[in-house]
Parts: sequence; C-alpha cells; structure tokens
Amino acid sequence: MLGYIIYIAIFLAFGLVIWYVVHAHSSALHARAELEAERETDEKEREEIEGLSTSTKQSRKLFEEAPVPYFILDKGGVIKDINKAGLRFFGVMPEDIVSKNFFSFIAEEDAEYAGYLLTCCNRSVPIDNKEIRIIAKKGATRWVELSILGITEPGSAEPASLATVFDVSERKNLDQAKTEFVSLASHQLRAPLATVKWYAEMLMHPSMGELNPKQQDYVRIIHEVDADMIELVDTLLNVSRSEIGKLTVEMGPTNVEEIAESILTELSSQVDKKKMNIVRQYNGLLTDLKSDPKLLRIVIHNLVTNAIKYTPDGGTVAIAFRESDGRHIVTVSDTGYGIPAADQDKIFTKLFRAENVKEISSSQSTGLGLYLVKSLVAALGGAISFQSEENKGASFTIAF
Amino acid sequence: MDTVQKKRVLVVDDDNNLRNVLLDALSASGFEAKGAANGEEGLATALSEHPDAIMLDVMMPKMDGWQVLEKLRADSWGAKAKVLMLTSLGGMENVAQALGKQVHNYIVKSDLNMDNIAETVNNLIKNPIV
Repeated sequence: MLGYIIYIAIFLAFGLVIWYVVHAHSSALHARAELEAERETDEKEREEIEGLSTSTKQSRKLFEEAPVPYFILDKGGVIKDINKAGLRFFGVMPEDIVSKNFFSFIAEEDAEYAGYLLTCCNRSVPIDNKEIRIIAKKGATRWVELSILGITEPGSAEPASLATVFDVSERKNLDQAKTEFVSLASHQLRAPLATVKWYAEMLMHPSMGELNPKQQDYVRIIHEVDADMIELVDTLLNVSRSEIGKLTVEMGPTNVEEIAESILTELSSQVDKKKMNIVRQYNGLLTDLKSDPKLLRIVIHNLVTNAIKYTPDGGTVAIAFRESDGRHIVTVSDTGYGIPAADQDKIFTKLFRAENVKEISSSQSTGLGLYLVKSLVAALGGAISFQSEENKGASFTIAF
Repeated sequence: MDTVQKKRVLVVDDDNNLRNVLLDALSASGFEAKGAANGEEGLATALSEHPDAIMLDVMMPKMDGWQVLEKLRADSWGAKAKVLMLTSLGGMENVAQALGKQVHNYIVKSDLNMDNIAETVNNLIKNPIV
C-alpha cells in the first residue's frame, strides 16, 4: 500500500513538473511571439509614420508650390493658411492675410453673392467654379473662378475648407471686348443699312416715276437683301447686349394678343406669299401679362418667323395662349419640317441650324434666333421648351 | 386752290444721304421739309422757324441730339416742340428718362419705313405732349 502511495506521489510530482515545463515553455514561446509581434508592429508603425511623414511633406510641398492660389479656411471663412501663389495673388505676406476673412476680399459688386457663398462655406456645401470678383494685388479687381471644398478630418472638431481661385480676368476682358465690338459694329452698320432701305423704298414710290419691270425687280431685291441684313444686325446686337448684361428688362403690363397681331400684320406679306393658314387661339387670355413688351415681341417674332420660314407653302402656323397651374403659356406651332431628333439638343446653341433645313435657311437665317430667344425668355423669368418630330412640325412653348 | 398749309418738318441729321432721302420722302408725302446738317444748325433753325415737327438724329458731332433737345426744352416754344429722335441705338427710353428729357417718340432708323413716314409724322404732330 505504501509503495502504491509513493508511486502515485511520484507520478503526480512528475506530472506537475512536466506540466510546469510545458507551461513555462509555452509561455516563453508566447512571450517571444508577442515580443516579435510587438517588434513587428513597432516596425510597421515606424514605417507608417515615416510614410505619413513623407506623404505629409509631399502634400505640404504640393500645397505650397501649386501654381494656383490655395487657401485653408475655417468654418467661418477665416484664412488659416495660404500658399505662395495665394500670397502672390494678393501681393501680401502671410502675416498680412492669415486670420482675415476670405470673403472680405470679394468686390462690392458681388457683395450679395458673397453672402450666399459664405453661407455655403458655413454649411460645408461645396462651391464649384463660381465666377466672382475679388480685390487682389494693389487693389485691382480680378475676375476669378472660386471653388471651395470641405477637407475636414473625420472626428476633427475643427471644420476646414480648401479654397482655390483661378484668375479668369483676361478671358473675361477678351469676351467683353469681343461683345462690345459686335455691339459697336452693329450700331455703326444700322445707319447705312437704313439709308439703303429708304432709298430703295423711295425708288419704288410713285413720286419717283415708273420703273421698268427689270428695275422694279432689282430694287425689290436690294430692299429684301437689305432687310435680311437689318435683321441680322438687330439679332447680333440683341445677342451681344444680352451677353454683356446691357439688356434692360422693363416689366410692365403687356398685351400679348396685341403683340401677336402686330407681328402677324408685319409678316402678312410672307404669309400671303406662302399661302399659309394662320390659327389664332388666344382664348381671351394674356391681355395684361406682367412682362417686357419689347423683349417679348422679339421672342414671339423669332418663333413666328421660324414657323413661317420652316413650313412649306400651304402649311399652318398656330399661336395659342393658355393658363395652367398659375403659369401663363404661349405656344407657337407649325406643320413644317420639324427638327430631327439628332439635332434637338443643340437647337438653342449659337449659329446652329438643323441639318434638314440648312438649304432652306442658308441665306436667310442668322443661326442666332433661338439662342437669343432662350436668353430673352430667361431674362423675362420664363422657360422655353419644344416638341418636334422631323417632317411633322414643331411646337415651341414659353411659360411665365 | 389748296389753302391747307403744309405741315413743316425739320430734319436734323449729319448723314447727308439719310437726310436727303428723308426730305424727299417727306416732300413726296405732302410736308414742307427742311434739313439741318448738324445739331447747332438744327437748334438755330428750330428756334427761329418753329416747325410743326422735328426729326432729330442722336449721334452727331459738335452737338448731339440730346444736347439739342436739352437746349430746345429750355426755350418757351421748344418746351412744347414735337420731337422724334432718330437713332441706331437701343434703350432710348432709359436714356431719355435718365436725362429727364421729354421725348415724344424715338425710332430706330432701320425700323422706319418710307411708306408710312407720313403716318409717323402726323401721329407725332397730333399727339399731345406728355
């Protein structure tokens, strides 16, 4: 019995030793693994830190050396940082501009717009290529394209934005000069065109004596071609005035029916020549619309002229008024050549003429009419749309 | 015998061709038409002869149409003279308003037709001063 107990005791003791050795070895292995893992982690962290440091240095260099002015703004638009191009743009040293509000540099003419942009900045709403005037170096006003993008780090309590400014003053000046040239040229052309017109009309006057048929024909052609030139100059003038913001909109009570009838009277000779059917659907509406009668006349005149021009002899042109959901709607429709589907997205662009009517319109169309119509409708606070199918006519709708 | 006195129209325009054809058209339409080649001459003729209507070009050297109009309106007769401004410019109402001038009418030259010049001038003469 004693021997048995001793045997068990030795066995247990041996087991304990084995357990201890294994456990110690395991712990040692585990500890070594942990140590190695820790060493690896430290290594990785070190590498990451070094990588980040390099990346941060690179980012900083990109920011500093970018050719475009960059500004770091806080939520209120205060400049926290500025790059070299920004300093050159304003002609200042960093201490002169950091801590100033970026939006205080926006020109007086755009003060209202500046308020809106500041609100966007406050609300972290991205601003993308907005044209605005800024007081830059030596107090000069420069046109710029401004973009502001939120760059706040996740979890950061300090919202930040990156503002970039692209100077477009040269481009704007060039555009302005081109448009003013067109305007000036148009004005200067009008006087001699009027002279030609009046002389042609006087030649056709009975008081000037009878012309032979050939002479009558020649004078008629001179008069017609001159009228086309006058229309072209008027359109160029209106387009240029629209583009340089010199188009004056004078809203007042406008009798659209009277305007439509005046236009139809003016175009009656063309209507008669083409034996066209004119449908009037005024419905007693739009006799007192709040609009600019002069500009609205140009719009409707263009649409009706196009309808007549692009409808074959014997076709129909309709002018309809209606009211819907509080909107006042004018529709000019025709049974003409229509607009091919492939051309429909370009119909309001400058100098565009649809493929199917190029031969008809080559000598008579400026390619500016619908571009002008769209600009004027927008200036009047309306919207224009159209529906058309090739060879099935077109219908243009203006809604105010 | 025709005892009806012809209405007298003064055309003030530095463009000789334009002025001459207007004079012809007015004469052919039954008016007694006289021309002036510049603003100074036009103002002097208007104040001395008191025409029934004045067709006044805007862009003229030395004294432009607006300057003529200003001096005309300063005269007791001229304050009520019937004036039609002839222009190649747009936005005439704004200019007139800004200058505080009384302009009965303006017309863009290329919009004026010789066929209805008589109607245009008669309407000018008939309409009271606003």
